[in-house]
Amino acid sequence: MILTKILKTLFTCILVISFLLVTVSAYQQHRTISALAELTDVTSAIVTRLSVEELVYVDNDEKLHMYSIDPAKLENCPTRWEINGKNFDFRVSVGYETGDEHVLGPYGSAPPDDRTRCSLAVACALYENGRFLPAKLSVIAWRA
Amino acid sequence: MARLDDRGVADILAIAFMFVMLVLAAVFMHTYSLRPLRAATDRQLDLKSGHLYMTLELAWVEPYSVSFLRAATENLLIEQPTVPGPYLRSAMENAIEYFCPPGYAVAISLSHDNSSWELSWPEGVGLGVDAEKQFVRQGEARLTMAGGKNIAVPVTVRIFEITGA
Repeated sequence: MILTKILKTLFTCILVISFLLVTVSAYQQHRTISALAELTDVTSAIVTRLSVEELVYVDNDEKLHMYSIDPAKLENCPTRWEINGKNFDFRVSVGYETGDEHVLGPYGSAPPDDRTRCSLAVACALYENGRFLPAKLSVIAWRA
Repeated sequence: MARLDDRGVADILAIAFMFVMLVLAAVFMHTYSLRPLRAATDRQLDLKSGHLYMTLELAWVEPYSVSFLRAATENLLIEQPTVPGPYLRSAMENAIEYFCPPGYAVAISLSHDNSSWELSWPEGVGLGVDAEKQFVRQGEARLTMAGGKNIAVPVTVRIFEITGA
């Protein structure tokens, strides 16, 4: 009878400890996933801002051509932005195909190996030599 | 009830219930925690869909100085378009293949009255109208005809998950 009571108490203790471990593990996973989701959204925000603001081609009449990239602006584009009070670094490149694949860049420092990174590539138009070419804007972002 | 307590069955039932609760709680917490990441990834695909639409509206079909959507609209509405139909399809397929996210397909469709112009990549995947996961961007392409009549053609660009990919 005493042995049964000891076993029951032991099982109960194991269950309580297991529950605590699962809760802590789930909390840690939640924090990791939230950080990843935030980085994913920040990468989307960077791509959007690049394609509608920072790298936009402006013609002689000062008209903005959103979603059209001016390659001359790539080199001087700052690659550290503050978003929601946090600093993020990114590396940007623009690829396009005219027979062979060409890549402008990458511009910005190389992503560190010990940080979580997020990459995103979207379609855009590249203004080059008076023509609008279909191109791919690629960004790799990480927390500075 | 007194006999059950004597044998300790009530305690064992309580422990078994706690075990089941533990397993359910673990599954629930780990499944629920992935939702924000899935939502963020979906937002990226929605962004890709919007960018693809704008790119097709702006980028030219080389060597012609006409955008992809404009060329497709001309192919739908007029007999002698600037860009010949087969050449446009080939050029657009190349562009979409370059932009298409892995595991997903892209479909473009324009329709006017009873006629339509459709293209999808990879070939044979259809338009993805019934796809479980799809990111749709709709707009309008306008073309002024010879008589001065302005025709608006609804355009749909859809990125959708390939089933079984």
